[in-house]
Amino acid sequence: MQPKVDKDRLLDVGYDPGIASCGRFLVLDHSILEASHGIKGLEVLPLADAMDNYPHVRDNLVFRLIEKDKNEFTKTASNLPPVGYYIKVEPGVKIDMPFQAGFLLESAGATQVIHNIIELGENSEAHIINGCTTSQETHKGRHIGITETYLGRDAALGYTMIHNWARDVDVYPIGAILVGENARYISNYAAMTSVKKTVSYPVARVMAGGSARFYSIIYSRRDSYFDTGAKVMLEGDASSGEIISRVVSDGGAAISRQMISGSSPGSLGHMECSGLLLGNKGVIHSIPELKGGHQDIDLSHEASVGRISKEDLSYLMTRGLTDDEARSLIIRGFLDIKIKGIPYTIQQIIDEVVDRSVSGSM
Amino acid sequence: MALLEIKGLRASSGGREILKGIDFTLEEGRTAVIFGPNGSGKSTFLGSIVGLPKYDITKGNILFKGKDITGMSTYERTQLGIGLAFQYPPSIKGVRLRTLLDTMNPDKEAIDHTSEILDMSPYLDRDVNVGFSGGERKKSEILQLMVQMPDLLLLDEPESGVDIENISLIADALKIILEKDKPIKKRRRSAIIITHTGFILDYIRADKAYVMMDGRILGCGSPSEIFEEIRARGYKECQKCLEEAKKENHAA
Repeated sequence: MQPKVDKDRLLDVGYDPGIASCGRFLVLDHSILEASHGIKGLEVLPLADAMDNYPHVRDNLVFRLIEKDKNEFTKTASNLPPVGYYIKVEPGVKIDMPFQAGFLLESAGATQVIHNIIELGENSEAHIINGCTTSQETHKGRHIGITETYLGRDAALGYTMIHNWARDVDVYPIGAILVGENARYISNYAAMTSVKKTVSYPVARVMAGGSARFYSIIYSRRDSYFDTGAKVMLEGDASSGEIISRVVSDGGAAISRQMISGSSPGSLGHMECSGLLLGNKGVIHSIPELKGGHQDIDLSHEASVGRISKEDLSYLMTRGLTDDEARSLIIRGFLDIKIKGIPYTIQQIIDEVVDRSVSGSM
Repeated sequence: MALLEIKGLRASSGGREILKGIDFTLEEGRTAVIFGPNGSGKSTFLGSIVGLPKYDITKGNILFKGKDITGMSTYERTQLGIGLAFQYPPSIKGVRLRTLLDTMNPDKEAIDHTSEILDMSPYLDRDVNVGFSGGERKKSEILQLMVQMPDLLLLDEPESGVDIENISLIADALKIILEKDKPIKKRRRSAIIITHTGFILDYIRADKAYVMMDGRILGCGSPSEIFEEIRARGYKECQKCLEEAKKENHAA
């Protein structure tokens, strides 16, 4: 019998069967409940099955971008049978409809270990949305999520991750992306709810003409700790990278690490970290790093940490808004990153997650 | 009953007294204009009426629709029907003009219609005032007032930095809000307009003019006569009046 899953919590992270999708993958603790796909040229398998069936996956893709002994979490994952998806998009196949994946942690105190592999063939396109959450009654646990992503030449991937964990859960997403020549990778990350600790620092290696863009929205509540960011290594000529983060601290801590390095001519990199402190209890620590090794590259960063402007609040209140409404509007605006290149449905999901969290906080 | 009645108002900002005892009355359906040189306290006066937190009212009372609003928050005052068009409105990154207007008034048709009147439709999906020219900011302020429809409009230099074509658009919008097409007795909304240049008076008829200097209102009269006087002789003449008033006060 299929176990009962907390559908409401999954809906909150965008795992919505009501939205047209090209396929779905659902994991409850370590049980794969669904692995489906409905488009020619898209293949979705549990990773364990893919490793059994395809030597290429086992030999060339698993623990190739991330080393097994990188840290205690990768070591843990490498010693367990893999649970996660293998998504393959054939060359030339372009899929507008998002692929939905849900990772639900239900057993209190358990450690969920996930390993996903994404492989996009040349000139293919896909959009994946991962929603990660606990069941309503589960407040304690750990999630380790390893994702290795391979983009062939001219491929494009939109990868969206929405976290909705609980106050006593610690989370370690470990990501690595190989962006092929002229390929485009866009990552969106939104974490708006309480969490004990989240540590995430995906690394993208970008080949000639390719681009990697990371957008993240973090809302750190009381007793939450985020140490998140991204690293982009511009390895090919005329490659580009962008890292944009918006961080709100409502009593919690947030470290934002960003790095772009490049030594190939014609490369471009830009990063922005904006932090907004809503009170005196939280802390935002922005750590931008740029490393350039060629005269013909252009790397830049902007960073700020501040509070809501009193002048802006007064202004909105003269328009008939209450103090809470004005704050909510400003915070919502602050978190509104305009992302290019993702389907409207995914933008809507991100907007709803942010709207719900901001209006629920006031 | 007067719509607005101000008695002995003193206000300061950052510990410095700016308004030094103002008495002022405005009837329903009337438009008053206030002239005064830079730094005379005109913006502080409007900010004190709407309750901007940066101004501390140290003495006096403000009565609006018969209620004492002196201790009320900005929000409470706006709910009673007071609206302000800022001289220098802030830019609010991330907040789209349409989102702000929707929050103020969920009537989408009204928003679209008023935006067309002010030729502001292309700006609805831009962040409030971000990258707006001086004229666009002023039009955005008037658009927000049109959506808000307050009973008392406080207009702080609505024409400064605006080209002639757009002053005309702004004036047309203000005439709609102030129901200038109706006979004076049937108009419900009132306005206080601060102007440095007086250009707006070529488009909107004011009923009464006041001159403010050094935190005091020196006198009132016909808008055109006072404006002509200032244009001909400048505020220096008014300064003499102020000094005479001071002497009289000391003597008293």
